[in-house]
Amino acid sequence: MSYTELTVWTRGIIMDKEGRDIVNSISASARLEGKFAQAMENYVDNPDRTNAPTRKYCRLSDNVLENELTYENEKPNIVVLVEGTMVKGWDYMRGMPPGGTLVINTHYTPEYMIRFVPGPERLAQLVCVDAAKLADHKWLYYRLGQLGLDRLSTEGAAERSKAIAPDIAAPLIAAVVKSTGIVKRETIEPMIANKKAFQMALDELHIMPLNPVAA
Amino acid sequence: MSTKGTHIPDWLTVPFAGITPAPSQEKGQDLFPTGNWRSIRPVYRDKLPPCNNACGTNEKIQGYLDLVKRGKYLDAYALIKEDMPFPSVTGRVCYHPCEQACNRGQYDEAISIRAVERFLGDLGQALARDVVKPGKPNGKKVAVVGSGPAGHSAAYQLARLGYKVTILEKSPKAGGLNRGGIPDWVLPQRVLDREIERLVELGVTIKTNVEVGKDVTWDGLKKNYDACVLAVGLTEPNSVRAEGENKDGVLYGLPFLRDIGMGTSKVKLGARVAVIGGGNTAIDCAREALRQGAVEVTMITVESNPEEMPCVPEDLHDMLEEGVELLHGRAMTAVLGNGRVEALQLYRARFSGAINASPITVNRGAPAERFAVDNVIIAVGQHASLTWLPKEFKNERGTINVDRFGRLGDTNFFAAGDIVQWGSGQPLMVVNAVGDGKRVAFNLDKVLRGEPLEPRKVPVDVIMDLNRMNMTYFPHFPRVRQAMLPPVSRRKTQGEVIQPFTEQQAVEEASRCFSCGTCNACDNCYLVCPEPCIVRSARSNGLYKILVNYCKGCRVCIEECPTGCLEGVPELDFDTGVVRMDTAFAISPGLHGRQAQELLNLGSRPAKEI
Repeated sequence: MSYTELTVWTRGIIMDKEGRDIVNSISASARLEGKFAQAMENYVDNPDRTNAPTRKYCRLSDNVLENELTYENEKPNIVVLVEGTMVKGWDYMRGMPPGGTLVINTHYTPEYMIRFVPGPERLAQLVCVDAAKLADHKWLYYRLGQLGLDRLSTEGAAERSKAIAPDIAAPLIAAVVKSTGIVKRETIEPMIANKKAFQMALDELHIMPLNPVAA
Repeated sequence: MSTKGTHIPDWLTVPFAGITPAPSQEKGQDLFPTGNWRSIRPVYRDKLPPCNNACGTNEKIQGYLDLVKRGKYLDAYALIKEDMPFPSVTGRVCYHPCEQACNRGQYDEAISIRAVERFLGDLGQALARDVVKPGKPNGKKVAVVGSGPAGHSAAYQLARLGYKVTILEKSPKAGGLNRGGIPDWVLPQRVLDREIERLVELGVTIKTNVEVGKDVTWDGLKKNYDACVLAVGLTEPNSVRAEGENKDGVLYGLPFLRDIGMGTSKVKLGARVAVIGGGNTAIDCAREALRQGAVEVTMITVESNPEEMPCVPEDLHDMLEEGVELLHGRAMTAVLGNGRVEALQLYRARFSGAINASPITVNRGAPAERFAVDNVIIAVGQHASLTWLPKEFKNERGTINVDRFGRLGDTNFFAAGDIVQWGSGQPLMVVNAVGDGKRVAFNLDKVLRGEPLEPRKVPVDVIMDLNRMNMTYFPHFPRVRQAMLPPVSRRKTQGEVIQPFTEQQAVEEASRCFSCGTCNACDNCYLVCPEPCIVRSARSNGLYKILVNYCKGCRVCIEECPTGCLEGVPELDFDTGVVRMDTAFAISPGLHGRQAQELLNLGSRPAKEI
């Protein structure tokens, strides 16, 4: 895998940091492994609106990144949906080359979720992980309480700690790492704050193999 | 918001430099279908109000209160008539389990449902023609034995289904317990007569002075009719097994009331009357005794205080107002006197509630008391008289053995009312008998049409409780009281004690209804929606529509719905409502992509155009 794009779809403010943690930690560990990597925010989607869909991007390559200045992933190999309902809302599969991976945070099974995926023939696997439950099923309510304190900025809206992936990002990172092997588990695990959820997610993933691509 | 980097549709072309016109509401909703911001979708789902559930015949109470509120009295009357043949009767006599269940009772005071029902019933009585029509004749004949509440209800529903119904009544007048068990000052005879006229108008034949077992036999019923509903009720009074109960001046509750109701009473009461028993019939007997000329009426109960008496508290209160005395914790063991009652022998006793032994414990160690009276009325319940019934259908309680559909074995005979419900734990009241008659009529119809029988199912989770509603919208408001005759004057007359609601009162009382769990078109969701995504096509029930493509799922309407009809359902439970967008601000498919395409083609376009 010489060049890989990862796009995370998340919701403005309430799940903004989760999305950012995923791309930041994966690109940081890729750099530790000696790859060229880049992670960036999206400023097209107006991410400072509660619940609005926003994207976070990450690129890894064995060589120098040539498209460093492009602000959008045009051909994502891996797509992560931080909130399950997003599966109905956007064409997150746009530009995905065959053999892609879709990771969804949901308590439904991949068999149920596949009906909402536009163009599932491009997927090599569909991964569902109940990240909200594994991390803390009440996570949303805690965050909504904190949001009351400061909802004006996207950067650090509800962040009271600098920890990486203290909640639902941890199981999602585990899902990405286990299903794609994009970075090594040993490299990324020390960065994760919620190690328990990370480890539980490794065991409790639902991976639905779809259309394998001949190497 | 900047539109830089986003495709701008033609209709949003810039009229002059730098200014983008604001889109109209409709265009804006098309441009930004924010429905995919939503994880919870608001859905209107009507639930069962507790009053409807508690009612013995499941009247659509919330429905008719709502119609009364809007001044649609005739619609309300028609709605009530679906389940209840005689709202004017139950509007007077019902012990209103609906009002006990009313959610408003936990908030301030329950709605006076019975009074509104009476208002509607009286309205129906005044109509020249009833709103109910007989069904298309299906050529089948059904006999209904007994014309009390259960028989009346069964006959009414069967006539509406198109059966040719004959009611067999053993008394000279139809009406059963409605006539014979309820005094005139609660239910005037003319009201009942009018309801029976309505039943005859539906094509029901009523044969009076026909007694089953004497004038017609079991086999005769079987031969002459396709099916039969037995609604014979409990006709025989219980005795207290005291010595000398056969003396002159000893009366029994139900026959006492029945003879007065049928106009065949020859009883002359003395000045001092005692009533044995603490139930509703005993209360009616005590109050009737005052009206029949008694001066001092004492009610002797085995219960040690008024709270334990098995009666309706309001009736007890009205009785005490009229001047009836209560004597608690006594049991009558003998009637003393020389051929005629002169006094009662009372012992201290208490109600122990034992099931297998006698539930009453008499303390024989204490000295006996002598209580001087001229008459004693014994009202301690009734039992059935079923000598004509084949043995295999009788049960150990002395009533009819039926399955859960009210059917006797595999026969086409059904039974309904007190004769079935007695001893089943169900309180015996008119409305329960009406409901039983209704259900049995529908079951009978199914059997004759060869359809399988199914029990009624009420999913308990959809019975609305107060915690699921938004009380902010309901100010405290006292119950509208029905006027009553003053106790002093009503003691001596047969005039109705409780006065009807005026139209204004009925509307005022109906307006207090919470409409628990049911959309009553209050427009609140329409008003509170921060985006204009609730459409109201007409101002009547259930006609709101949520624009699913645009609703962001902010839950404001769900939280603010006063009745709790709106619910949040997880968006992923729906297969519908998929709106694909490329980014948050561009519609699918590929507006963003189209821009990219334009950029690619840029090189081939002439420089002037760029």
